[in-house]
Amino acid sequence: MRGLIFLILVSSNNIFSILEIEILKGSDNLSKIAFIPFGIEKNIDEKYGDQVSSLIEKNMVLFGEFENLNKNEMLSFPSTEEDFYYRDWKIMGVDYSVIGRINSVNALGNLNISYSLFNINRRIKILDGEIVGNENNIEGIAKIISNRIYEKITGLRGIFDTKLAYVVNSNSKTYQICVSDIDGQNEKILFSSPSPIMSPDWSPDRKKIAYVSFENGFAEIFIQDLISGERESINALGMTNSAPVWSPDGKSLALVVSFSGNPDIFSYSLNTKRLNRLTNHYGIDTEPSWSPDSKKMIFTSDRSGSPQLYEINVQSKRKKRLTKDGSYNARGKYFPDGKSIFFVHGNNGNFQIATKKLSGRFISTLTSTSLDESPTISPNGNIIIYATKKDENGYLAGLTLNGKSRFALPLKNGSVREPAWSPLLK
Amino acid sequence: MRRLFMEPIGIFILAMVCQLYSCAQNVSDSVEQMSYASVAGEEYLEGDKIETNLNNKVFFDFDKSSLDASDKSLLEQYLPFIRKAKIVRLEGHCDERGTREYNLALGERRALEVRDFLIVKGISGKKIRVVSFGEEKPLKRASTEQAWSENRRVEISLY
Repeated sequence: MRGLIFLILVSSNNIFSILEIEILKGSDNLSKIAFIPFGIEKNIDEKYGDQVSSLIEKNMVLFGEFENLNKNEMLSFPSTEEDFYYRDWKIMGVDYSVIGRINSVNALGNLNISYSLFNINRRIKILDGEIVGNENNIEGIAKIISNRIYEKITGLRGIFDTKLAYVVNSNSKTYQICVSDIDGQNEKILFSSPSPIMSPDWSPDRKKIAYVSFENGFAEIFIQDLISGERESINALGMTNSAPVWSPDGKSLALVVSFSGNPDIFSYSLNTKRLNRLTNHYGIDTEPSWSPDSKKMIFTSDRSGSPQLYEINVQSKRKKRLTKDGSYNARGKYFPDGKSIFFVHGNNGNFQIATKKLSGRFISTLTSTSLDESPTISPNGNIIIYATKKDENGYLAGLTLNGKSRFALPLKNGSVREPAWSPLLK
Repeated sequence: MRRLFMEPIGIFILAMVCQLYSCAQNVSDSVEQMSYASVAGEEYLEGDKIETNLNNKVFFDFDKSSLDASDKSLLEQYLPFIRKAKIVRLEGHCDERGTREYNLALGERRALEVRDFLIVKGISGKKIRVVSFGEEKPLKRASTEQAWSENRRVEISLY
């Protein structure tokens, strides 16, 4: 019943979908993929053949990582391996081809979709798959197939069924926290307020979002259930609680509590509701973020005189400074492999997204605009989306790390910021 | 005595003691979570705001929270009004540059700098309320030096 309510909520908001990804620059040496319309058995609506392959195509080219072959350039439309000729695709400069067939399972609208992926240069089939799903959920089926194709080609986890949370400020009087599919579809407004909202963060099971709301006149942490919409305040101790971040094991929130004006980092056990103090310094300590194994945290502190990144072992509480270059390095996060970090780097008045290997000395800057902030990374560690500004409006932009493609996610109205990429579905 | 601590009031007192201890000593590793009576909808908001003909803002340099001589002289002029007021509300703000959570802390520090100056001048800390909005409530929505310098501010309201 709960699942049903969720579906209704999501589909009733279909009409919005305000974020739309625009590729600014494709990856270097793009691989070309032919998404051939799927074959269909009789008794099945013909539209599904083209629909499924088009949805997979849309996903695969979403972040500028691949190029597609236009359907009107295709020399043949095979849907089985027997009809598939490598030379038809080789002469069109195609690197991979996707074919498939759709069969009916029963009268309830269940479809059986089989698909194959061919490597044209090596002249071999590299993937065979089969999936059963309902015709009402063609988009969801296409996402699963896209994930498997993406994984086979890149060796990285597919992220097409992940979501993005972000804060929208449609005019100076309304703040909203929204969640949408990673392609901007199915946007849902989670919470709307006349007071500022900030710092959204996903629970590892993707069922809840923690954020800061000023609805009561001061910074206060809330946890909201995505399905029921229920909200719970975590007013840990006094006023000014901020920067909530879920531990990857789901047991704790890292958060910042400001006792009489001195912000320090704590871990808050969601089970026992106990606070464990991790830092105790008269400087500003904020922006905690957990390592993937939940054993360490990265945080921002101005204890040296300017904001810099530090790492703390949650058990021993031993601290280590991570950044030394420049006068502003803040809001650090770990890559999913735990070996590198990404953060906001201030340099000559420009604020840009940068990365650094934990074991290395040098930082490398990834972006070139001047007011870049709030970077978030895809669960496969390959795509970073961040907030930036043009004129007075905030918008989201992104890049891929392996192919260096760049894209923007403009908003039709108002200002959008603080993207937070959801974890993968377990 | 043991029975007292079984009662909710006993637990509340214990929690209060824990909290006071942790604030005073700042050494406690693990603090019992206590459900605060919401500080929301503060009573002073209902009361009448005291109007003055003085500028109610002091401004700061980027990533700084120190008060310069002109800020201090403005605050000095405020002192007679502040002494009469029941509540002094200090609202700290930042410009849009840098990260949002850090700016939230920086805005709080700016407001505390003003509070500490007022306390040195003999104002009771009990009537001072400090709140930070970080970079979330800019006065000017533009990405220019002029807008940034106007947004890095502490606003003073008297009730």
